[in-house]
Amino acid sequence: MPPSSLTPGKRFPDLDLPDHEGRPRRLADLPGGDPLVLCFSRGWWCPKEQRFLRALVELQSEFEVAYARIVVVSVDEPGVQAAFRAGLGARFLFLSDAERRWLGPLELEETTDTTHAPYQPYVFSLRPDLSIHAAYAGYWSFGRPTLEELRTDMRAISRDIRPDWEL
Amino acid sequence: MAGHADWHWRGRRFGIDPRCLADPAAGRPAVLGAWAHVCASPDPEARVLFDATEVQQARRDALAWWFARLGDDLVCLSTLSLDASHYGGAITVARTPDAFADDPFARIFPGTIERTDAFAAVLPPPGPVLERYSGAPWPAGSFAPA
Repeated sequence: MPPSSLTPGKRFPDLDLPDHEGRPRRLADLPGGDPLVLCFSRGWWCPKEQRFLRALVELQSEFEVAYARIVVVSVDEPGVQAAFRAGLGARFLFLSDAERRWLGPLELEETTDTTHAPYQPYVFSLRPDLSIHAAYAGYWSFGRPTLEELRTDMRAISRDIRPDWEL
Repeated sequence: MAGHADWHWRGRRFGIDPRCLADPAAGRPAVLGAWAHVCASPDPEARVLFDATEVQQARRDALAWWFARLGDDLVCLSTLSLDASHYGGAITVARTPDAFADDPFARIFPGTIERTDAFAAVLPPPGPVLERYSGAPWPAGSFAPA
């Protein structure tokens, strides 16, 4: 179960973190009126994360024409994220919490990994105002959303926020 | 803010991401002494559909590596629209011209380098959206309620 503050209907906190180029960002600035998949990832070293992010890269060619966004948060340094992102062929944003400032406030610490102190791999489907539509606990890999589930989430949010959905 | 502003270059009028144009009164101070790489032609007939594959791919390249290649030198980037459907070029503004030889938009219309004080700093779009919002020049605009 996600922390009680990160359940559907609640507003996700407005994270302030540098992106993979080290530029300061605020989460609230990123949706720009579009739905957003927010993925907390352990880090580049984890084979499960590599596989899941390769799947998100498959999805980006749909998102790029469907007005939906993807953001990944990990504890990797920005320079490491930039290299990992380039290797994946990703065209979406990574946010770096190398200082682990948001781990505690979000209650998403993965306490079983004492080497890296990473995030638990949670995925959230967010509305443009950062309210949570769906949350997926990915500590066990099969807990993560399938691409079809993310498509379904984006469809549900888009249907709700686009006044001309049925033109 | 509207989805585009007018910008004039060598006798042509283009639509540009309005956030790129410096306007201190609106909180967009100019980056002085910047360098603009204008990948456009003064030929009034020079135009390509925004949906053309080469224009799509240049936008993908911008998200994949061009913004990263520019790094801290980046000031702003906008495609240049002629109308809701047609691409007239792109402009990348940077603090040095060092990376301009790699500009993916120069594959469509070759670039011209100019010194400028007219532009403001704008963060790169988060991606991966390539499509335009109601015909605005990418990456401007939004479908968010005003």
